[in-house]
Amino acid sequence: MITTGSKFLYGLGSATSIAAILWFIANDGGSIGVVSLAFLAVALFFMGAIASFVRDGHVLSTDTDAHASSNAAQRNVGRSWFPVGTAFSAGMVAIGLVSSPGIFKVGICLLFAMLGQWLIKNWSDRASSDVAYNEKVRAWVVHPLEIPVGGAIILAIIVLSFSRIMLSLSKESGLIVFSVMAALVLTFGSMVSVRRGANRRVIGAVAGVVLVALSGTGIAFALDGERHELVEAAAEDHFAHRACGEEAEETDEDAARSVSAKSSVAATVVLRDGRLFAEMDGWNGELTSITLQRSNPSTILFVNEDDHEHRMVVEYGKIVEDLGGGVSKDTVLEACTSLITKGGTQAVSIVIPKPSFASEEPYSITVPGVEGASIEIQVP
Amino acid sequence: MKSSRRWSNIIKPALAVSSLITVAGCAKDAPQDTWQPAGPNAKVIDDLQRPIFYIAGIVGVIVFAAVGWAIFRFRDRGQAMPEQTHGKPALEITLTVIPVLILIGVGVPTVGTIFDLAKTDDTEMTINVTGQQWWWEYDYPAVGDNAEVYGISDPIVTSGQLVIPEDTKVLLRVTSRDVIHSYWIPKLNGKKDSVPGRVHLLRMEGSEPGIYAGQCTEFCGLSHAYMRMEAVVLSKADYATWVANQLEVYSSPSADNVLAVEGEKLFLQQCARCHQVNGLLNADGSPNVAAPDQYMVSGAAPNLTNLMTRNTFAGASWDLLTPECRDDVWNATPAEFGEKYLAGVSEDCLNQKDLREWLRNAPEKKPMYADPTKLTETGGKYRGMPALGLTEDQISALVAYLLELK
Repeated sequence: MITTGSKFLYGLGSATSIAAILWFIANDGGSIGVVSLAFLAVALFFMGAIASFVRDGHVLSTDTDAHASSNAAQRNVGRSWFPVGTAFSAGMVAIGLVSSPGIFKVGICLLFAMLGQWLIKNWSDRASSDVAYNEKVRAWVVHPLEIPVGGAIILAIIVLSFSRIMLSLSKESGLIVFSVMAALVLTFGSMVSVRRGANRRVIGAVAGVVLVALSGTGIAFALDGERHELVEAAAEDHFAHRACGEEAEETDEDAARSVSAKSSVAATVVLRDGRLFAEMDGWNGELTSITLQRSNPSTILFVNEDDHEHRMVVEYGKIVEDLGGGVSKDTVLEACTSLITKGGTQAVSIVIPKPSFASEEPYSITVPGVEGASIEIQVP
Repeated sequence: MKSSRRWSNIIKPALAVSSLITVAGCAKDAPQDTWQPAGPNAKVIDDLQRPIFYIAGIVGVIVFAAVGWAIFRFRDRGQAMPEQTHGKPALEITLTVIPVLILIGVGVPTVGTIFDLAKTDDTEMTINVTGQQWWWEYDYPAVGDNAEVYGISDPIVTSGQLVIPEDTKVLLRVTSRDVIHSYWIPKLNGKKDSVPGRVHLLRMEGSEPGIYAGQCTEFCGLSHAYMRMEAVVLSKADYATWVANQLEVYSSPSADNVLAVEGEKLFLQQCARCHQVNGLLNADGSPNVAAPDQYMVSGAAPNLTNLMTRNTFAGASWDLLTPECRDDVWNATPAEFGEKYLAGVSEDCLNQKDLREWLRNAPEKKPMYADPTKLTETGGKYRGMPALGLTEDQISALVAYLLELK
């Protein structure tokens, strides 16, 4: 007979073997993970074999009656929802295979979680004849995983709910709502911290109610959709830098020493009343021509004071790449901000490698859609 | 007897060293002496540091005298331990209040001076100063008053020597291309760090034509000690001449000067990859554009247009003038200075020795991590000029060409 303890180890060993095979397939024959998992599986099978031989240490290996008389052999496992969960997960996997990769991935994760829980539950229920002890050993094994994963899931629900609410509320309302919520959280936390004898059940209940309310509100706002301007912007492809080609996720990703670059701008470019001008430390007044040092990371901050959304485009020459056979490819060097609403600011960091006299086209800062909005960049 | 001889052996050398240090402080020709201000900003600092120095000196003398007297007066002569007391409120309050008053007396004018030196709204000229290992670049933007008042119609780029008009409130926009450096011309103003990605402002004004020396004051790598700078103050008329000269269109050496013509070709092959000479044309007639961003960690190398109008090279580490000619310029009276400086470097005055050594093997003269086999960390880029392996004839041709860059 396979004893309770050895059954657990054999189960884990089997799961690890399957994981090794999946790893091998998923990573196109990657060896390190496979070798590690295979060794783990061998170790688990080996320990399972020892557990079988010594009958989990509860009875003598020579005591053949123990197969029927030991406590572990007597007890039935408790009721469990994990078979139902496993079936549900398997269903998700099947549906995901024919419909959506997202559902498939979630199904796979759930399937492994349910199988694992089922396995551990069956093992712990047979660990001894003491129900309390069995529950304790289950907790020892499962809680180090269950608690952080559960916390992460709750955090994800909170973040997702908050983000749906933020995207749906107007900027002004959002500011008020989240200020009030932050104040409430701070107040509640302060009260709990100063009242030493606070009932944990009450606190848990309140937290649970808040979580349910928050996720419910998040679902409601998600169904209601994003606020008007975001829907419009997405529909009109406002977030793509049409003037600059594909939008970079970080406009300053090429900036060396970006932290210091952001903390001190070379120039502030302002769009006000249809006029575009620059302000620089050390220069008085509004400038329509600025000088930037060659090969030096320079951060330019765009401030949109116009009523409409605008983006700033910095053009600083082009690179001609020789592709051979008399064919060359021109890559225009430019950097753009995203579309900025009234009162908004965004910085771009650039490094201009060539002096301006080396370029056929003058280096410039422009705002597409605003007639005559241009600032010359001189690079000596 | 033995004891007094022992004391004599200690005190005499100590007195000699102290006297030497004190006398060294009296040097008249120290070019970086902070006690000899030559401009209003440095004068503001000097006006602050002198009274503070006197106050600190007096306090120091009193403290040392009191401690010395206490040590001598109460030295161990086998007497009984005196009565130990604790708590003298009046004395403690007095000894607290006096330093507080002194610190307030020092602090108030210090804060005022800091604000005075940070003023920028009266700026008359703006110059960008960029530090890199191990030289300073100056570029004069052709914008605003620079263009309208001082005739800088196109940007001017120089290195080694900052040239400014006298009695003009110049604002330096100081930054760095690689690591942190610090800009300091002691006779004209205090220090200002040059930090990558940041622009720091430093006022600079000279009251009298002349050359004022300085050096980088933030350790910045192997050749930090060789990262020097000079500020040249010219009268306004001389400054206009200097600007006009810097803006003159480049012309190649005349065909008669065969060596220089050969040098120009060599410069295009060997030097123009990193060093820009504005107006220099490639063999096909297209403008030559240096690409120091491909070879240098900082992405820049000194622009050598009008090199021979400067008196120094290699980060102002060496003079382009022979010692005699250099002394003639440095010791010129303010009235004569402009003419002598604007004469630039003639063939007779050229410091051939140092320039040739530099061209022969620059890293040997100024350490610059320039070993081509050890550039993996920098992706094959140099921090300074590498040895070019030039022959003596090639060096002669290059020197002849560089002499034409006026």
